[in-house]
Amino acid sequence: MNALANPDVGAYLSKHFVSSFQKVATFQIVNGQKQGGNVASYFCAPDGRVLHCIAGPVDAATMLREAKWVVESVKKAMEESRATEVSFKSLFRRWHADRLRQEHGLVVEPATFDAPAASEDDPLTYRDPSGRPIVPVLPPPPIDGPDVQFRAKAMEAAKDAASGVPDRKGGRWSLGNQGRVHQLMAAYSMVKIERLYATVFENILGERVSTKPVITINAREGERRIVCLHCESKAQIRD
Amino acid sequence: MVKLLLAVLLMSSMPAAQESPACTKCGKQTYGTSVQWAGTPSEAAAKAKAEEKLVFVLHVSGYFEDPTFT
Repeated sequence: MNALANPDVGAYLSKHFVSSFQKVATFQIVNGQKQGGNVASYFCAPDGRVLHCIAGPVDAATMLREAKWVVESVKKAMEESRATEVSFKSLFRRWHADRLRQEHGLVVEPATFDAPAASEDDPLTYRDPSGRPIVPVLPPPPIDGPDVQFRAKAMEAAKDAASGVPDRKGGRWSLGNQGRVHQLMAAYSMVKIERLYATVFENILGERVSTKPVITINAREGERRIVCLHCESKAQIRD
Repeated sequence: MVKLLLAVLLMSSMPAAQESPACTKCGKQTYGTSVQWAGTPSEAAAKAKAEEKLVFVLHVSGYFEDPTFT
């Protein structure tokens, strides 16, 4: 939230973006203390397809840098796709893969083809009798880690990081939120936000998507609802 | 009567619930940020299409309108 309070960020976002917010997850208030909760910022095309994302809170400089990268990349992709006939989506995915390689040292193959989405009316589509999930979590594309000489040390460090990202050779790499975003975007950039947000919130930020904004557990005594079983039973009898 | 007057005085002296400051230009709520927020993402998308802009969507936990619950 501090980043969005910055006047430079506000001015830049107002100039190039129309902003909106949604509540997608919950945090708990346990004994009056806030627990959990997070934020994700999406830069989208006007049709809701995600160009880039920032997972978690960041400072103003990072927010401004990422917003500028999106605006500049959109301009560049429009020019390049006109000139070279490479699709806008492919260019964006390639640039996310490039940033993952340059900033985090990991290689991911950008996906240039999306499988057609299954139709809900398709007779072969499985219908879960217990109800559909809010939105399915997308699997991240496989990555290739660098060929390092200190392999034993790297493996040991990866073992310590329980949340490390596995590569195709079996190694695990400690990757921050933005690295994971670039990994995801290399395969799913220009996908609609409604297909992507659960993956960002659940796989990257580790928060569960929920429609409830706040859950209060063990509220202070004064805020607890006092229930008299005797009166409740009487009311039920009357009804 | 005195008690009633005291109660009224006490209530009037209590601070009102803090509202987030609105933008000085358009009057829209900024919710403690320097960003002007459009309504829903659909409204933002329609506005962005008309103005040839991109869309910025913030996904949050809790109540964005109240900084203590965000």
